[in-house]
Amino acid sequence: MAPEEMDEFERELRQALERRPAPPGLKRKLMAQRSANAARGVWWTRLVRAGHTRGWATATAALLLLAMAGGGVRWELDKRQEQRRGEAAREQVMTALRITGHALNEVQTRLAEHDRQAGEGER
Amino acid sequence: MNRRGIAIRLGALAMAAGMLTAAARAQEGLPLAPAVEKELAAKASDVTEVTLGKNMLDFAAKFMNDKNGDDAQAKKLIQGLKGIYVREYTFDKEGAYSMEQLQQLRTFFETPEWSPVVRERERKSGETTDVLMKVVNGETQGMFILEAAPKELTIVLILGPIRMEDLGELKGIGGLGGALGGLGGVQHTPKPNSKKGGTE
Repeated sequence: MAPEEMDEFERELRQALERRPAPPGLKRKLMAQRSANAARGVWWTRLVRAGHTRGWATATAALLLLAMAGGGVRWELDKRQEQRRGEAAREQVMTALRITGHALNEVQTRLAEHDRQAGEGER
Repeated sequence: MNRRGIAIRLGALAMAAGMLTAAARAQEGLPLAPAVEKELAAKASDVTEVTLGKNMLDFAAKFMNDKNGDDAQAKKLIQGLKGIYVREYTFDKEGAYSMEQLQQLRTFFETPEWSPVVRERERKSGETTDVLMKVVNGETQGMFILEAAPKELTIVLILGPIRMEDLGELKGIGGLGGALGGLGGVQHTPKPNSKKGGTE
């Protein structure tokens, strides 16, 4: 490199590295922008936040639906179980009445037989 | 609290629970199963046991169809009853039960409020029949049937208000037809010679 060229390069480098004061109001602008960003969040933060909220809402709704479905199934099972117990109780009542009826039939038959024998004896 | 204190409290709790259970049973109005029942059940080849307290009867009534004749009559019949207690034992051989055992069962109802309606003893066959009614203030409040055949023993105890006219109307449930009405006849018609000298 020629000495003239070298001087030119050094001058340009010095000029580029020279400390210059920031334009007036830059700091204020930057601070304002930072505050605004913090307030509304940057785009990706907002996206994540929205995603989280939607996720929680979906999970809550799903849980609610699950709980309702579970409650419904439980209610139905309880109802069926009560129905079965009721039918069994009804059957027991009918069995008890059948046995009672049978016993009373026997009583009646014996009494009728006794009356018949007593009638024959009187004759 | 020391151990003795805990033991005393636990004991009191157990006693209270026991008293509550006994009170609940007494409220149901059903007799406690005497030991003779267990002996009979052990010897029987076939046992049918039905014990229904008031709560169970009320519960069963909810599942009876008012449009079905039998159900409607049964529902009407059990309305207000305090309990139904039925035991039916079938034995393979004769002599599986003794007269003493029967007497133990009868003794349970030898109280002033139970009146014998039918008491029959067949010497030849060894069959015995007892029908007792519990009458309170002129109203039938219970019925006890003890029917013993050589190979079969039936015990029926119904507690609560029993309307004979409802019993008589009950039809269609195996063997119940006119028999119950027949008992009404026995109850209302004095039959002094229906009581036989027994083989007891």
